[in-house]
Amino acid sequence: MVITNNSLVQNTTHKVVIPFYAYAALSFLAATVLLFFSGNAFTQHYFHPHTLAITHTMALGWGTMIILGASHQLVPVLIEAKLFSNFLAYTSFVLAAVGIPMLVCSFFHFQMDWIAQTGGILINAAILCFIINIAMSIRKSKSQNVHAVFVITASLWLLTTTIIGLLLLFNFTKSILPEDSLHYLSLHAHIGIVGWFLLLVMGVGSRLIPMFLISKYDNRKELWLIYFLVNGALISFIVLFFSRVDVVLYILPLLAALLALVLFAKYCYKAYRHRIRKQVDEQVKISLLSIAMMLLPVVLLLVLIVLLVFSFADAKLALAYGFSIFFGWMTAIILGMTFKTLPFIIWNKVYHNKAGLGKTPSPKDLFSESVFNKMGIAYLTGFCLFLAGVLLSSVITLQIASVLLLITAVLYNFNVMKMLLHKPLIK
Amino acid sequence: MNEVITNNQEKCDQALAALHHVIDPEIGLNIVDLGLLYQIDFDEGNKMIFISMTLTTQFCPMGDSIRSNAGTAMQHAFPEYTIDIDLVFDPPWSQERISEQGKHFLNRE
Repeated sequence: MVITNNSLVQNTTHKVVIPFYAYAALSFLAATVLLFFSGNAFTQHYFHPHTLAITHTMALGWGTMIILGASHQLVPVLIEAKLFSNFLAYTSFVLAAVGIPMLVCSFFHFQMDWIAQTGGILINAAILCFIINIAMSIRKSKSQNVHAVFVITASLWLLTTTIIGLLLLFNFTKSILPEDSLHYLSLHAHIGIVGWFLLLVMGVGSRLIPMFLISKYDNRKELWLIYFLVNGALISFIVLFFSRVDVVLYILPLLAALLALVLFAKYCYKAYRHRIRKQVDEQVKISLLSIAMMLLPVVLLLVLIVLLVFSFADAKLALAYGFSIFFGWMTAIILGMTFKTLPFIIWNKVYHNKAGLGKTPSPKDLFSESVFNKMGIAYLTGFCLFLAGVLLSSVITLQIASVLLLITAVLYNFNVMKMLLHKPLIK
Repeated sequence: MNEVITNNQEKCDQALAALHHVIDPEIGLNIVDLGLLYQIDFDEGNKMIFISMTLTTQFCPMGDSIRSNAGTAMQHAFPEYTIDIDLVFDPPWSQERISEQGKHFLNRE
């Protein structure tokens, strides 16, 4: 007989997490299919129905869904407490899973009617369920730490983003805001990008990257500084936005965000330097690369602001900026981290009760490393080519790049499905 | 220095040989060379084995599986005993606990 104590936090059941991963994988595929058929949209203004549809598929279906799924698994581990409610997690999934396609289809056909509005309401309800679940889990926890504060703050920014998004949807049909929806687009987008994606990636990444590198590096003070810089940058941006000040002042929040990024990159570099295991696998390498890729949109935004100071609005640069976020660092980190988290979730599901019954495969044996490497090459080539295509307004380059990104999504889905359908090798 | 405290060195060596087959799935190194074991005590009167062990991080998602595998390996090696495994995080695990063989394994580029 084996007796064990309960010092380990009970993992969230795979039944909660897996639907989010599967949905995100299919959304990534859908976004690249849309990209393939909408190459022309990327030679025009960013307020284009197809661009809006692709952006929301990427931001909600791909980025947000996978982060919500991973958060249900990671937050209990970070705060050392059980997830408050599986029911709220399932509800959150169902609401978002129904709401996102309603919104995306409406954007694609640019019909901002009741379907879009219902989709927006469902997405807001999903985020609300997620926040209640995370907040209640944290409330019941004995240990609150900086990573959990990053997650809950990021979740509140996500809710702010989706509420603004909903207001913008209603503003298309009824003038409920002083200006048209296009005016508030940068506010909606930046709260989502900086407050949700950036803050969450930093909070969770600062825990996961040292863990996967087996590094003992930890610097709470630096993480708190990063936290205040990112939030300070975002709040000052919102204040400047409503104050209608000179565009040159937007440099200030941008510099604060840049400083936070540099500090975060330094944090990851130090974790890398202090790692115990010398071998770094491809999944961690692509995640580390994504941190370097965070600097690209900052540089593009800096150029955009400088051009705006001289009253020169460059639509191509604005498109490249958005693309470098959603298909750039955000996608890179998800491509890497999926194969550092999902194999463990599946391994625990399949082999947890088979300890000692025979030789079990390791988690990384559950997906094809060679397919992963091919996916990495297709992704990096496709990303660079697409960016060049946007900047050069070259339709042929955009088409070649979109094929490569479509191949990336197919290979990603192949590996994700291979893991999800994995059958135990021992009985 | 990777030392396991015990009240029975001979049986402890048998236990370590059994636990040598328990691998941390993420790192690929066995839990003995990784230095996850703190104490293995034997109570011959009550046929009990008390194991005090840790994980590389308290956030380890594989913690439960590693502990289960350790329990199964010990049960196979000592079928007549009840195995009591206590996971502790004080003192926390540190890289100094990795054995020379373990360091050699991890230092491969």
